[in-house]
Amino acid sequence: MKFANELTRNILFWVQEKRWLIIIALLGLVMYQLPYPDGISPAGYRTLILGIIVISLIITEPVPLPAVALLIAVLEVAFHIAPAAEVAKTYMNDSVFFIMGSLMMAVAIVHQGLDTRLALGIIQLTGNKVKHIVLGFTCISALLSSFVGEHTIVALMLPVGLSLVRNCRKNKPIPNLTALILFSIAYGSTVGSIGTPSGGARNAIMLEYWRTITDGGVTLTYFQWIIMAYPMVIIGMLSTTFLLQLAFKPEFKSMDTAIRRLKIHVAHKGKFSGNELLTILIFAIVFFCWIFLNERYGLGIIAIGGAFLYMATGLVEWKQVSRDTNWGVILLFAGAISLGVQMKNTGTALWIGQSLMNQFSPFIEQFSVIPYLLNIFLTTLLSNIMSSSGTVAVLGPITLSMGGDPAYMGMTTAISSAFGYFSAIAAPACMIIYSSGLVKMTDFLKAGWRMAIMSTITLLLIYKFYWPLIIGFTNFK
Amino acid sequence: MKFLIAIKNTKKESKNILEIGCKIAEGFSADLTICYIGKQSKALIEGDVNLARKTLSEWNIHHPGLEVLEWAFNILKEKGFAPNSDFDVDNLVEEKGRIRMVLSKTTNYQIGLVLREGDLLSELNKEVKHSDFDIVIMGSPHRKRMINKISQFLDTSIFFVKNFNPNWNYKILLCVDDSRATKRAVILSTRISKQFDAEITSLTVSKTSLFGKGYRNAHIWAERYLQRIGIPFNSKLLSGNPVEVFVNEAGEDHIIIMGKAKGNEFLKFIWGSKPIHTAQRANCPVLLVN
Repeated sequence: MKFANELTRNILFWVQEKRWLIIIALLGLVMYQLPYPDGISPAGYRTLILGIIVISLIITEPVPLPAVALLIAVLEVAFHIAPAAEVAKTYMNDSVFFIMGSLMMAVAIVHQGLDTRLALGIIQLTGNKVKHIVLGFTCISALLSSFVGEHTIVALMLPVGLSLVRNCRKNKPIPNLTALILFSIAYGSTVGSIGTPSGGARNAIMLEYWRTITDGGVTLTYFQWIIMAYPMVIIGMLSTTFLLQLAFKPEFKSMDTAIRRLKIHVAHKGKFSGNELLTILIFAIVFFCWIFLNERYGLGIIAIGGAFLYMATGLVEWKQVSRDTNWGVILLFAGAISLGVQMKNTGTALWIGQSLMNQFSPFIEQFSVIPYLLNIFLTTLLSNIMSSSGTVAVLGPITLSMGGDPAYMGMTTAISSAFGYFSAIAAPACMIIYSSGLVKMTDFLKAGWRMAIMSTITLLLIYKFYWPLIIGFTNFK
Repeated sequence: MKFLIAIKNTKKESKNILEIGCKIAEGFSADLTICYIGKQSKALIEGDVNLARKTLSEWNIHHPGLEVLEWAFNILKEKGFAPNSDFDVDNLVEEKGRIRMVLSKTTNYQIGLVLREGDLLSELNKEVKHSDFDIVIMGSPHRKRMINKISQFLDTSIFFVKNFNPNWNYKILLCVDDSRATKRAVILSTRISKQFDAEITSLTVSKTSLFGKGYRNAHIWAERYLQRIGIPFNSKLLSGNPVEVFVNEAGEDHIIIMGKAKGNEFLKFIWGSKPIHTAQRANCPVLLVN
């Protein structure tokens, strides 16, 4: 009796731990048995089932993410979506190289301790006034993250911000000032990450989808991306500064003591070391290669070239790179891109896109902006649940098939994936400031709704007036 | 004995949990482990978060959980539980899914500090299995379903600290029935009673006015045991809905001590049990004895 009870308890515990896995498996099984909807091929329908399984697994996380990546490959072959050789090919491409290279470079850059240099630079630039500090943090986070990558800048900027907040804690609590400083880094780096293809993994994934999924293959160079997306970054960082100060009225206007303490903390650094200079030099080389050579070599090859240089010069050891790089995420993105390609090949993406658009067909004739609005809504929603990069990976093929210009739609998806302002899980910076306990969940909502409205309006204005103007200049078709 | 105290922040509620936990542990001369279970990042951004945490630690800004543990460590030190050393992050050891601080042993107690990240229930379960704790002391979760799951799936005694006020003089409400865990509950209650200098009320409740043999025997056994130990007590036999009677009798100034139910696990998962419902509805600390 005791043994039976213990066994039942263990089984029940496993079931409640893995409930999402069981629900998702059952859902997949039921869908597999259902008759195919009209207008979609059997392989397409099975790809749709796989897509739903993958999105659900990424959101609920009942199994480790690398396991999801492996499942994609297994089910693509088992569901007769594509033969094994083709599946293997779709797993490795330039954007996966790019994600791998940029994550490895981030480890190398962060390892050099450039954060203190950054702190000194910011202090000299902003002075003691809170409003200048907020402007400085937002702009520097945005500008740097647009080139170096959000994950690297978050790792370099957050210590500066958190240290400043700690140093200015006085007798009375300062929740607004704390939120103001921390959100300026979190939102600043998010806003900036859309500025160039190297700003985040999602941008590289969109480049890959454009190349492989769209008819004829849309290609966009590093510089063309900047021309299209950078106005959004500039408007975004200025309005972020304004909106944050509107949402969180700081308890005092100057941070003399905190700045003085921060100066003392970073003063011992001395002059630039050879390693620090070399780190910056290598990144500068990579950056120029991204701008001038990306059409010939691809962003990914250049990124892993940069990672090679960091290791070859001894700036970072392989052990360190191996330990601090999230290989699981690289594998997952490889799997997600493979699924995206199959969604295109089997017609699934087109079917979903058209089915969605059919619901709004009477309005689309009058308002051409509707596919873009729906795109922004879906992407924002998912990025707040699942994180920004994951959203582009799973939603990209669908939004590219929702009608509208694929180049505009793709750019809209990539940009609006950064609108994860409402939750702590959308971006690493948001997660860290939330888990520090210094900001509350309600703070995300307090600042987030303003940011979301501002970003959506800016993006729609840019789509309507700016992109048509520069389309000839960018010439990305 | 080994006790685990789970805390989530440095607020007054956590301080109360530590206070009551230390007091009980003192009575049992038990080793104490303080555990912080933090929210885990989404796996997609986990690598980025870890990278940022690395630079933060170089600025002496550590994981928020470590700050909570340091706060708890200082309280334990004040009470003479923890060794008179500094909280040194260099003494952290990363083990299977947990971070532990290596601490030297004081004269009486072995103190442990553990940091975990992830789902509360599964991490608590792993910790209990890892160190085989006798009692888990924690705040009462807001979600009733979570109280059900914790009570059922943690294979140990659980003390839900709810509405605890360290300035009050608590009495003990010992709920006696025919379950196997009752005897252990009676034994534990005597030691806790001594520690709190609290009077015990031994209460047996039947749904009808007739008391079955099992209930009567358990009631008599409890009375005899309490008499033998020499603890002031009074005993009651009442009729009514057991959970309602327990909750009403306890009010806010009692510590309820009762045995865990040993019925069908599946039915317990769906419907709960008397101890689970009592823990869910009571407005005072509740100890469910395994």
